[in-house]
Amino acid sequence: MGALGKYQIVVMTVMFELGSTPLFELGIEAKQDAWLAMLFASLAGLVLTWIYLRIQLRFPSYGLNELLRAHLGRILGAAVSLLFAVYFIYEASRNVRDFSELTVMTILQQTPQWIIIAIVCLIGLYAAWKGTTVFFRVVELLFPIVFVSYAFILLLLIVSRLSNYHRLLPMLEHGVAPVLNAAFPDIVSFPFGQMVVFLVFWHRVKENKRLGRAAVWAYIVVAFFLTLMNALTISILGPEIASISSLPLLEVVQLIRFASFLERVDVFVTLLLYIGLYVKMTLFYMAAILVVNGIFPKSYRTYAVVIIVLIAAMAFLEPDHTTFIWIGLTVSVKIFPLFQIVIPLLLLVIGALRGLGSNKGVDGGAAAEK
Amino acid sequence: MAFFSKRKGSARQSDTYTSTKGKGGKQTDKVEPLTADLDVNARVIGDRLGGSLDIVLRELRSAGKESIRLIVVYIDSIVDHRMIQEGILSPLADSPIPPLDLQDSGQDNNRQGSIIVGIAKHILSIGTIRSITTIEEALEALLGGSCLILAESEQTALAADVSGGEQRAVTEASTQTVIRGPQHSFTENCMTNIGLLRRIIRSSELRIHCLYIGRHTNTRIAVVYIEGIADAGVVNEMNRRLRAIDIDGVLESGYVEEFIQDKTFTPFPTLMNVERPDVVAAGLLEGQVAVIVDGTPFVLLAPVTFFKFFQSAEDYYQRYDISTFLRMLRHFAFVVSMLLPATYIAVTTFHQEMLPTTLLISLAAQREGVPFPALAEALLMEITFEVLREAGVRMPRAIGPAISIVGALVLGQAAVQAGLVSPAMVIAVSFTAISNFVTPQFNIAIAARLIRFSLMLLAGALGFFGIITGIIVVLTHLAGLRSFGVPYMTPAAPLLPSSLKDILIRVPRWAMSTRPLAIGGGKRKKDAKAPPWQRRSSGPEEE
Repeated sequence: MGALGKYQIVVMTVMFELGSTPLFELGIEAKQDAWLAMLFASLAGLVLTWIYLRIQLRFPSYGLNELLRAHLGRILGAAVSLLFAVYFIYEASRNVRDFSELTVMTILQQTPQWIIIAIVCLIGLYAAWKGTTVFFRVVELLFPIVFVSYAFILLLLIVSRLSNYHRLLPMLEHGVAPVLNAAFPDIVSFPFGQMVVFLVFWHRVKENKRLGRAAVWAYIVVAFFLTLMNALTISILGPEIASISSLPLLEVVQLIRFASFLERVDVFVTLLLYIGLYVKMTLFYMAAILVVNGIFPKSYRTYAVVIIVLIAAMAFLEPDHTTFIWIGLTVSVKIFPLFQIVIPLLLLVIGALRGLGSNKGVDGGAAAEK
Repeated sequence: MAFFSKRKGSARQSDTYTSTKGKGGKQTDKVEPLTADLDVNARVIGDRLGGSLDIVLRELRSAGKESIRLIVVYIDSIVDHRMIQEGILSPLADSPIPPLDLQDSGQDNNRQGSIIVGIAKHILSIGTIRSITTIEEALEALLGGSCLILAESEQTALAADVSGGEQRAVTEASTQTVIRGPQHSFTENCMTNIGLLRRIIRSSELRIHCLYIGRHTNTRIAVVYIEGIADAGVVNEMNRRLRAIDIDGVLESGYVEEFIQDKTFTPFPTLMNVERPDVVAAGLLEGQVAVIVDGTPFVLLAPVTFFKFFQSAEDYYQRYDISTFLRMLRHFAFVVSMLLPATYIAVTTFHQEMLPTTLLISLAAQREGVPFPALAEALLMEITFEVLREAGVRMPRAIGPAISIVGALVLGQAAVQAGLVSPAMVIAVSFTAISNFVTPQFNIAIAARLIRFSLMLLAGALGFFGIITGIIVVLTHLAGLRSFGVPYMTPAAPLLPSSLKDILIRVPRWAMSTRPLAIGGGKRKKDAKAPPWQRRSSGPEEE
């Protein structure tokens, strides 16, 4: 499979982080300071991204499997890789479930969820079948659509004068504590810590030297945008409504009335969220395939089929939406930091202690991935 | 090059494709040399051709004291009679063949071969002559439009190219028209077409290689490119794929296209067919390789990218701002022709709330008497239109007006009045149909038509969710396509910022200083900078 361009990584970072994030009003426990929580979390995420990049740049040609093996040894490395694969599969399955819940809640109220899940899994499988290179290109093609749409929505929100900054006041009403409580570890682990998935893909970038800068800039831009969207939502809905609504962004765009014909933009926003969810789901899914194929090398496409079936099955685990959200917001966010923070930090420290990558380990071995 | 698709190679590999006299077409398992006996040779050739009506075997004696028996063979239907008369028959009959010792090359004292050399050098006034030693070569030359000259007690014969006969003149382009720009188009004759290109590109770097494909048709195929601009890998790959073709006959470039495209299962064309010499010339200058097939005015161009299909020749003859507008319009129309009926179905079936109330009420009122669901209604109208369109292409010209009456009045207005379809649906279908004709390249418009139907079904079943699913699948498919190794969606994905100047917009000529990166290899620089009188001045113009 071919190498990836720097621009492709930038676009993928933006699209991936964007994903379904604007859908939820993250950090709403901090009331009107939710956007501050978002800001703090994104700063923490920036540090995490830096850590991931440090690990990656020790061995620029290594994928996640090789990195783990280089740091932790053969057996432990493989075991942790497997854990990562499980984590990726679970993240992907949550995205699939998000997809179906969103659809059933908004535009197809009467369609059974399993149909949606099946279709989403099939288009994911199709992308995986075509391979990483093609998928990155698809995201490149989707990016202009998403970019223009979000720009358009922002423009509409501004011209329709819905936003009122008084709703963001008073800032830090109860001090910094609630803000930090909201930010850590919840928002850090979703969406910012999910950057860890790029450890599977970064080594494929052609210009490794400039990778760090490109990834960090893409991250900063998208983090800023997410914080802005968060603040906009609160400034439009106010913290009370934003906290009880299940899909705050859709509530916001429903308020848009422009020139008496653009009245229900929310369907288009739903489509935008679909694109984001699709990108996120497929990237996790492909990461899982590549990691598993790296541990037990067999056929990429066999694993693609097996793993998509697993993802589809796991999407049915939670009986209803409430459980799904509850697990996502309380249980998962407590486990995810293991992969997003604890293990990378461990790798960073181990690598520093053993002095990995400092000497000519740059081309220690070619990436074994397909 | 792993990205080139594997295909079943045939055994007919021949390395003669680089010569203009190649003969890769026919499998010559047994070679029968010409004998020294004139009558035997003539009889064998006659027998091999089965004594067909249009074979002419003309026996004559040369002039002069030492009269030599000659037989002239040609196929009456594919030669130029004037050339035979003036270039072969009358010189042979009038002037004596000079004996070998009088000829300038006197070193070979063997009498064998001297007559043929004498005829070739001193008598025939035909441009292309080659000597022939086997029956198979002789047949091939005959069928290619050559006149064969056999001489007494000679084991060599001469083939003089006198191919001719009736053919269509160069006329105006009929399917790819422009308002401003050269109007002539290719014809069915390969040589004429090459000539049209040569007249545009007067460069010594222009390369034209020939090969013959088709066991029975033995069709001449010319591969044209500009040395130093076209990617050598693409040229080699093109030759490799062409030589791998094993087929009875090639009647149109479509035959070749199906064999040499990268991927079979796609509605999207990965080769472009063009009937305009200026477009082919422009393609060659950008590094594309052209394939001219004898017998069709449609020349293939490869590699192509998706966006190439939305560029009309006229874009470059008009002002760039106007071209940019038209270019965007075409892309928009393409999207409309794929998505409009599907969107209509999705909105009226699933997402009525998206419409402003007044429009919704009006639509609902229109649809009140319509017995079908929106999907059935749309499919009915779309299929009707497709039938009308196909009828418009196939029917005899004389009945043309009937179609417009039936189409417009009966199927449009009457269907609405009869309450079978709603007027809004007629508008949607008509606009879709018109949009489909905006695309300059017909074959990508067909792709849009096919995809439109699947999107309509998806929209009917799942609304916008179905449409977005369909779009993602189509985009994935497009992103995975390649045309001779070039990713189909270049320069959008993978992104090549310097090549974006000619995609959605067209920048002024002088700003296109580089060739499209993906297609051409070799030299990058294309045009000069802006002429000095156009360079931006720092302030407002004085004087």
